[in-house]
Amino acid sequence: MKWQPVIPVMLVLCIMVLSETYAAGPVIVCIQCHATLTAKLSQPVELWQTSIHAEHGITCNVCHGGDSTDSAQAMSPAKGFRGVPAPTAVPALCGGCHMGVAGHYTNSAHGRALGRGGPTCVTCHGSHDIKSATLDLIGSRNCSKCHTFEKARLIRSAMLKRDTMLMVIEKKIRMLKSQGIETDQMEKRLFALRNRFHAMFHSLDIKLIIMESDHIQAEIEKTNGVGGKDTGPLAGIIAVGWALLLALLFYLIKRNVD
Amino acid sequence: MINIFRHIYYWIDVRLGTHEIINEKRTGYLLPRNVNAWYSLGSVLLVIFALQIITGLLLMLYYVPNVDKAFTSVSFIMNEIPLGRLIRLFHAVGSSMMILVLLLHMLSVLFMGSYKSPRELHWLTGFILFLMAMGISLTGYLLPWNQLSFWATTVATDCVSAIPAVGRYLVELLRGGKLVGSHTLGRFYTLHVGLLPATITILIGIHLFLIQRTGVSTPPFGLEDTTNSWKNGKFIYEEHPGGIPFFPNFFLQDMISISLYMACFMALVFFFPNLFIPSTSYMPANPLVTPAHIKPEWYFLANYQTLKLFPSEIIGIIVQVLAMTFLALLPFIDRSPEKHPLKRPLFTFTAITCILLWIGLTGWGFYS
Amino acid sequence: MDASKRKFISICLGGVAALAVAGVAAITYPLFRYYLVPKPAGDSTGKITIPLKDIAAGDATFFEYNGSAAVLVKKQNGGLAALSAVCPHLGCIVQWEKGRQDFLCPCHAGYFTPDGEVISGPPPRALARLPFSVANGIVTIG
Repeated sequence: MKWQPVIPVMLVLCIMVLSETYAAGPVIVCIQCHATLTAKLSQPVELWQTSIHAEHGITCNVCHGGDSTDSAQAMSPAKGFRGVPAPTAVPALCGGCHMGVAGHYTNSAHGRALGRGGPTCVTCHGSHDIKSATLDLIGSRNCSKCHTFEKARLIRSAMLKRDTMLMVIEKKIRMLKSQGIETDQMEKRLFALRNRFHAMFHSLDIKLIIMESDHIQAEIEKTNGVGGKDTGPLAGIIAVGWALLLALLFYLIKRNVD
Repeated sequence: MINIFRHIYYWIDVRLGTHEIINEKRTGYLLPRNVNAWYSLGSVLLVIFALQIITGLLLMLYYVPNVDKAFTSVSFIMNEIPLGRLIRLFHAVGSSMMILVLLLHMLSVLFMGSYKSPRELHWLTGFILFLMAMGISLTGYLLPWNQLSFWATTVATDCVSAIPAVGRYLVELLRGGKLVGSHTLGRFYTLHVGLLPATITILIGIHLFLIQRTGVSTPPFGLEDTTNSWKNGKFIYEEHPGGIPFFPNFFLQDMISISLYMACFMALVFFFPNLFIPSTSYMPANPLVTPAHIKPEWYFLANYQTLKLFPSEIIGIIVQVLAMTFLALLPFIDRSPEKHPLKRPLFTFTAITCILLWIGLTGWGFYS
Repeated sequence: MDASKRKFISICLGGVAALAVAGVAAITYPLFRYYLVPKPAGDSTGKITIPLKDIAAGDATFFEYNGSAAVLVKKQNGGLAALSAVCPHLGCIVQWEKGRQDFLCPCHAGYFTPDGEVISGPPPRALARLPFSVANGIVTIG
């Protein structure tokens, strides 16, 4: 029987909703309204809710402007509302938060083709259902939209080995964390490494990517060395052996005293 | 060299008469000839309690009882401080061991009929100690402020709300607010390091005094007459003429039991620590997200499952309160003089049924 | 009890004592290390840097250096002084008085010049000086 957290969670939820002192997070008026509209206008809400942006609290106004707390001002140009951004404005918009990527992109073939049929961030990453970027984005599905997959395949295979290693490290860190080992530093280092690696891709410069790949390899090897301080079973064996020996000695004494 | 110890001993004895007391305890304190190893569980419990206090004090050096800092302070202890991980594990595993050995001690007292007259007070103080031990484990549990602590405490304190009229008020009293938060941490910490250890120590003192005063009970095994020897009327110390001297004979048995316990305990701490600290323990408390499989510690699983079984929470609570009250008042309800478990079938049958029921509920609670 | 039994018991007791001593010895050093506050892992050099422009002339800024309170003064003529802010009398932390351009120890009214020399009061000696250097408008203490 799966645990039905009916009573306690309902209780907690009721208190959450009713209590004024409990900060349940600000209400997002954009979602309140758009969720009730027709398919075309409500779809972004559904897509966004599955996104990594939603997980981190990046709401509609961060990209579209406007005031997300006030219905009257939600779509007001005075509050910075810019509606659907023009394709040429997208890289600058995303690049505002995602540093480092914009530079590589602008200098690449993709960046030079912006406004002339070239891809923007949204072309591969999506606009609302954005997920954490993986190597799967580099595939025939995305790349073949405009040209053949050949060059992209080369770049992808150059990155595959290192990217897989990064994922292995991420798993290792999660495991260490579940044993109580302090992983903050490692997580931050991994995040920085992965970001740099993925940002580099946008330059589409395979020589640069291979150079960066090797650099990442060195960094990964450094991170691999950092791990849990495991003393091994020796201490445990000594401790248990000590106690058992003590018990044996007491038993021998008792047998002779009785 | 030995002379100086003799001098000091003499100096103290001349002032306090310690020689007389020690002699009396050494040779005068006799235990029944058929005393068995179960009788040494009490001293094992003393050692466990002492270890908990020592490791607890050591943890207090670095633990910070503040909702923003508690989790990181525990992580600090586990990672940055030499021996920190071991001390924390000793304390966490030790608390489960305390309850386990306590239950075994209770079982042995039940089956050997040691709770019967004139030892009703021993049983009562022991029972209160049992409740205190559960309480100190529950309060201690919240302190690391991880997902498990937070939600298990939320569920545990919620149960009280089912009491009509005063329920909601009682929950607020327990939590220091409507939800588990910084005030809960504050009062649980005070209970855990202050009030409960002090009360437990006093109760242990009383419990030991009572045992010394009435004399140790005679186990019903290996005897022809296994009935209770107490006759109502006058206070009589239960003598054991021709019995086994406590020192050194049963003292050695105590030492054996303690050593064996330490072997089991350290095996658990060094090789199976994750039995007691699952991975949810390493996520800081998040009042907005309840993890999927929250359940209380193993010794509360039976209570938890009982509450889930009864459609109305208040009935579930009442049933458990009644069961505990019955157990607490057992010496007043069971007045038969027979102590041997095989010669009092009603008791033995009921006891075994209840134990199996408890184990079943615990297992069910674990797997559901 | 015959002699061989007694001897055997003594040997066993000796074994128990040895184990007890070994146990205590094994645990004492780690416990000692546990009790000593571990050094923070972060900045091993222990140096503190303060941008010059952060302090106005005639003002002082307090910070932690080497585990205790320290102060950097920018005197009105532009000169700098980096001092320990711990009063040499009984250890209270001195305060900077902007109006009077001196340090005052609030515990027993010891007064110090901006360079840490004692003006009046019970302090037996001047405030300890800290080594510092200035480069590119940044003061590095340590």
